[in-house]
Amino acid sequence: MPVMPAPDPTGLPAPVVILKFLSVFTLTLHLLAMNLLVGGVTMMALAGRKRQTDPLADRVFRRLARALPVTMSMTITLGVAPLLFVQVIYGQAFYTASVLIAWPWLAIVPLVMLGYYGLYICQFRPSWLGNRETIVAWLSMLAILAVGFVFTNTWTLMLAPSIWKYLYDAGISGLKLNMADGTLLPRYLHFIVGAFSVGGLAVMLLGRTLKSADEQVSDALQTAGRRWFLAAGGVQLIIGFWFLFALPDRVRNAFIGGNMLDSGVLAAGIVLAIVAMAVVRRMPGLAALLTGISVFLMVGTRHRVRQISLFPDLQVNNLQVNPQWALLVVFVAVLLVGLATVAWMVAAFVRAKPKMAG
Amino acid sequence: MNYPIWEVPMLGGGMLIGIIAILHVFVSHFAIGGGLYLVLTEIQARKTNDPDMLDFARKHSTFFILVVLVFGAVSGVGIWWTIALVNPTAVSTLIHVFVWVWAIEWVFFLVELIAAIIYYYGWERMDPATHIKVGWIYVVSAWLSLFMINGILTFMLTPGRWIETQSVADGFFNPTMIPSAILRTAVCVALAGLYALITGTLIRNDEARARIVRWSAKWVMGGIAVLPLAGFWYVAQLPPMAREISMGGAPVVTLFAAGSILFSALVVGGAFIGPYLFPKHVHVTYAFGLAIMGLMATGVTEWVREAVRKPYIIYDYMYSNTLRVKDLGEYSMSGLLTNAKWERPTEADTKSQVRVGRRVFRAQCMACHTVNGFNGMRFAVKGWGREFLDHQILYLNELKGFMPPFIGTDEERAALVEYLLTLNDTEQESDVAAAPAEQKGGL
Repeated sequence: MPVMPAPDPTGLPAPVVILKFLSVFTLTLHLLAMNLLVGGVTMMALAGRKRQTDPLADRVFRRLARALPVTMSMTITLGVAPLLFVQVIYGQAFYTASVLIAWPWLAIVPLVMLGYYGLYICQFRPSWLGNRETIVAWLSMLAILAVGFVFTNTWTLMLAPSIWKYLYDAGISGLKLNMADGTLLPRYLHFIVGAFSVGGLAVMLLGRTLKSADEQVSDALQTAGRRWFLAAGGVQLIIGFWFLFALPDRVRNAFIGGNMLDSGVLAAGIVLAIVAMAVVRRMPGLAALLTGISVFLMVGTRHRVRQISLFPDLQVNNLQVNPQWALLVVFVAVLLVGLATVAWMVAAFVRAKPKMAG
Repeated sequence: MNYPIWEVPMLGGGMLIGIIAILHVFVSHFAIGGGLYLVLTEIQARKTNDPDMLDFARKHSTFFILVVLVFGAVSGVGIWWTIALVNPTAVSTLIHVFVWVWAIEWVFFLVELIAAIIYYYGWERMDPATHIKVGWIYVVSAWLSLFMINGILTFMLTPGRWIETQSVADGFFNPTMIPSAILRTAVCVALAGLYALITGTLIRNDEARARIVRWSAKWVMGGIAVLPLAGFWYVAQLPPMAREISMGGAPVVTLFAAGSILFSALVVGGAFIGPYLFPKHVHVTYAFGLAIMGLMATGVTEWVREAVRKPYIIYDYMYSNTLRVKDLGEYSMSGLLTNAKWERPTEADTKSQVRVGRRVFRAQCMACHTVNGFNGMRFAVKGWGREFLDHQILYLNELKGFMPPFIGTDEERAALVEYLLTLNDTEQESDVAAAPAEQKGGL
């Protein structure tokens, strides 16, 4: 029997279905921002290689450099909420896994900082930097990709209670990674290649908004972005199946007919992604919408993989619930006011643009 | 005990949290005060039609976002990361009790961040009135974010009526919540001035530099002026034992409490003598010196705040070693290791009292103590004999008010004594880290 920590005696602060929805929904937002970041920083680093000889590549590099610090900021901020909810629902597994690989997990903090400052350096181009922007861009990209790798390690270890005690008994210094897990590599690649694809779509859309400002850069971003979206999207389909078949039988079966709802959600996610690729040239807005929905369905699938993997050691549907309804209402109210405030600020910012141009 | 433990060599988990937390506090309070500083400086500059001041505010905002958005935000996540690694049981309780408070704080944080970004990129683009409005949105949401976190943080030291009622409102609006919010707000204002002195002293134009340096010095002095009164209120609300620890009960803590006052006085004195009286002649190194004094003041104050909470991590509810007060009786009867999922003795362990003792040490002591480093037991038990050690552990909480009681059976206590005795003997290999190899050999 695996060791599973006892649940917190306080109980869940809301019915688990609400917490699950919030977890999946906020994680979707985080992952969309992460996709923009990972796809964007990779395209920027690659454009940087040709910067010296190709002036257009240099302009593409600079345009992406302007967009990425904000993307990073949003990725971090939108990541806080799902991390909060996962601790509420799956704390027993989450804390255990993170403690077992404590140092790599903690390394995320300096890696994020390094990657983030690198992006600002690429944007601000301080004079001491000279010609070394490309190196900094690559360092940022590597730091960000490493963060993803550690995350994948923790989330896969979380799903494997049977090896926790073995890892613990082998040493408490927290220096390990969960490298032997067969799902680790396909899972990591699934997230990263997916990010290349969605990031490509975002770069394409960014290109469309620049039509009047800089036609050449606009065209370059649109072409490159669409190619990334399609090529990485195609590879993603293959990796997705690899990931699916790397899952333990018991888990995989649910998604290939064992459970109709799980199988349906996954199939819908795949179909929407393929349709998005088919319509991207003619209807990019629709492609973006379908991609967003597809990501949401995939995050839902990811959640079910977790739930099935942890059964029967951790059954979150059976956790004690002590709902805090009044505070939940306050949260929703604050969220609505907050989103309205953000909408007002963004609108004010966008509206201010023509004034400058004039 | 419910969760596996993580051994942080030399520093220990507590010290690791401390280092990250102090740096974060020093930056995050600037994040709030600095926003207010930017908005008021912009308003002042526009009202007096002062292009130098406006230019300074714009440049200062670059410095601001580089410090706040990156280091401030990421180190805040870093604290969460670290406390969850060092003390997952306590974090789990805080998360379960206050999840909606945290979620509300997240909304404020999100608004704060987007406001900061739009304010920064909006300098050239937006009209002044709208730009200033965005600045105010930043200030309000940033302060509300502090207000929410402050409620959770103060709860840990003074949970108040929550202990009986388990009501989130009682826990959030606890006895030290308001004085602490005032203290922290004042610190935000003072830190805004301290950081602005760094960029302000770099202005080339003499007249402009003098104006901005003096304006910033007023922020430092004004912020610190509020501290004594709010500080008295705060201390008055502390549990009696916490007050006692800070005022003579534990000499080191008292020394640090005195350090807090001393460093704050140095900052305010330094701000008056230099930047306020002779604003034209203040060099950036002087401003850095003041900022370092400010960091020291922040560091020792936060350290004292953590220290006076001993022996609890959540006062009257959970001890520093994550054992809940209510479990005390049961664990003393049934035994600590029976309840310590990760430290149940193996068959090989049961043959050796020392190895059982090491398990007890891991489960009960390692949340705060290392073997050889900070709060190291090898140093603490130096020269102690068996009987003396046993007596110390038996009456741990009575002999040392800042320590929790020993929890476990007589056999477990005897085993712990045997293990600790090995730390006195340099010939025996007793490092906790050496346990696994030994264990494998035994199996």
